Amino acid sequence: MKSLNKILTGIVGIALSFLAGAILIKLQGNSPIDAYRALFDYGLVSWFSLSSTLNNATPLILTGMAAAIAFSSNVVNLGEPGQLIVGALTAALLGYYLPIPGIIGIFVILIISGIVGGLYGGLAGVLKKYYKMDEFITTLMLNFIADYFTLYLATYPFLDKNSYVPATRMIKKEFFLPTINGINISFFIAIFMVFVSSFVVTYLKKGYEWRMMGYNYNFSKIGGCENEENLIWVMFYTGFLSGLAGALLILGGTQHRFTKGIGANYGWDGVMLAIVGGNGVVETSVFAIFFGFLKAGGIGMEFEVSIPSEFTMVLQAIIVLLVVATRSTISYYSDKIRASLKVQRVVKSSE
Amino acid sequence: MRDSFSSATPILLAALGGTFTYYANVFNIAMEGMMLIGAFFGVLGSYLFQSWAIGMLFAVISGVVVALIFSAFALSLKTDEFLTGIGINMLALGGTTYLLRNIFEVKGAFISPRIESLPTWDIPILNQIPILSQILNYHPFIVYLAILLALLLEVIIFHTKFGLRLRATGEDPETTRSLGINPNKMKFTSILLSGILSSMAGTYLSLGYVTLFSENMSNGRGWISLAIIILVKGRPLGILLMSLLFGFFESVTFTLQNFNIPPQITSMLPYVITLVVLFLYSFNKNKEEK
Repeated sequence: MKSLNKILTGIVGIALSFLAGAILIKLQGNSPIDAYRALFDYGLVSWFSLSSTLNNATPLILTGMAAAIAFSSNVVNLGEPGQLIVGALTAALLGYYLPIPGIIGIFVILIISGIVGGLYGGLAGVLKKYYKMDEFITTLMLNFIADYFTLYLATYPFLDKNSYVPATRMIKKEFFLPTINGINISFFIAIFMVFVSSFVVTYLKKGYEWRMMGYNYNFSKIGGCENEENLIWVMFYTGFLSGLAGALLILGGTQHRFTKGIGANYGWDGVMLAIVGGNGVVETSVFAIFFGFLKAGGIGMEFEVSIPSEFTMVLQAIIVLLVVATRSTISYYSDKIRASLKVQRVVKSSE
Repeated sequence: MRDSFSSATPILLAALGGTFTYYANVFNIAMEGMMLIGAFFGVLGSYLFQSWAIGMLFAVISGVVVALIFSAFALSLKTDEFLTGIGINMLALGGTTYLLRNIFEVKGAFISPRIESLPTWDIPILNQIPILSQILNYHPFIVYLAILLALLLEVIIFHTKFGLRLRATGEDPETTRSLGINPNKMKFTSILLSGILSSMAGTYLSLGYVTLFSENMSNGRGWISLAIIILVKGRPLGILLMSLLFGFFESVTFTLQNFNIPPQITSMLPYVITLVVLFLYSFNKNKEEK
């Protein structure tokens, strides 16, 4: 019921956003109908566009889930972009240097990259536990540091001399993740992680403690949960998911190497997805696929009606604002109405 | 030293804007986006009319508009301030890139001789003093404005009726309401002021510091401003000092690049410094408590 509510308010907000987007497109002198038709053609209609939607959604599912789990545990992990990029670089380097062959090698790369991302996230958790440093600021600063540091590594020590832009060498062919009917295996790995995360959050004792920490920090403390230690674990786990997203971008993407700007906006999109999805693991993943659709379709809009693909970024931001606004407005006013009904009832009974 | 002042200015201005929202207890993380939008519209206005003043005007109007959007969501529609801020930042990043491509048809950065940069000021008495003149003279006026504002804010927030009401709103909105002050109105004012100051910080970035607009040119300065505000608990004079400190480190990074240190490493410094300062601060505080 509750998750249905989240999705319903989401749909209302999305409809409103498309309306707002249509007005913007109209103002630019383009036809909104043509633009949205291109969006659907390239994002949904054919098998090819559907598979590119799903491929686009892969990193978003993971980063969105990471943000959602953190937020619902009352941990502000804004470090997904940094954790993702650190994971991506690790995968790119391991993919070139790792001597383990084939499938086992892929597993090792994915797990180590995830762990590196997790450690990077965990760092913010440690700083919070021992030095009470606000994870909100530390994760942000760590993003910038990761951004510049990985770029430094790709520009100097690990530079591929044949490349025109700062980039590492391409990973070994045997580590490329295959596609099944156009859908990259990495999508299924992401979906598998959705199940794992759902299981962790719903059934494991640790996951329960995380959620308790999110509901009521002091209550869970009194109840005997090690909140501060859990915080580090949440940071590690969500960092792991983001790092994994980065690794999948390298192994399953198209470039198979670390280049400048590979993280794009996946990390921040993840934060927004968690917001739109109301911090639910499954809901967030549903919206991640929707954002993947926007990304795939955005390319269509650029091809067909020459609306810059950045427009989808604007549309995404509008969607986030309107979805959350719709949800909070509805709950605020329904609470108000409920309260005033209650008051009336009380007044009547006392008369 | 001279560069410290110019590097410090955008951070200082945005942080001063954030001071208002800090005391009104509005969690304003939209400063980054407001700065970026201000930077863009400053360039746009300056390009269209070949006048820095109109650029400035454009920027301030854009700041007001963003503040209105922020307030509409956060105050009227009761959207969480944190989420609103993130939404606005994304809107700013996507929107300015989009407009950059749509209006100027370039990707990455826009440079044009038609953009008029902010004029620098030659201050009469100051130009007589040898060393100080080199450091402090010939800056765009926003630099002086920012420093004056820091001093002024200290007075406004702690010694005027407006400041008192602002702080009261932040402390306890319900009590404030019972005294006949509308807390939402106070919060709105604070958001508006922060929007104007942040957009001016952006204009300084695009018209004073350099004369161009590039994608994501605010590059985390809004976040650093926020970190500073939290660190000094909103004291304007503290913000002035911290901003100058950061400005100093940022200008050091330019010097370091002359010594063959890769630019990626030097660009990392301001963020590392922020972390280190935060760390030292919390470390000391923890020790005092023990």
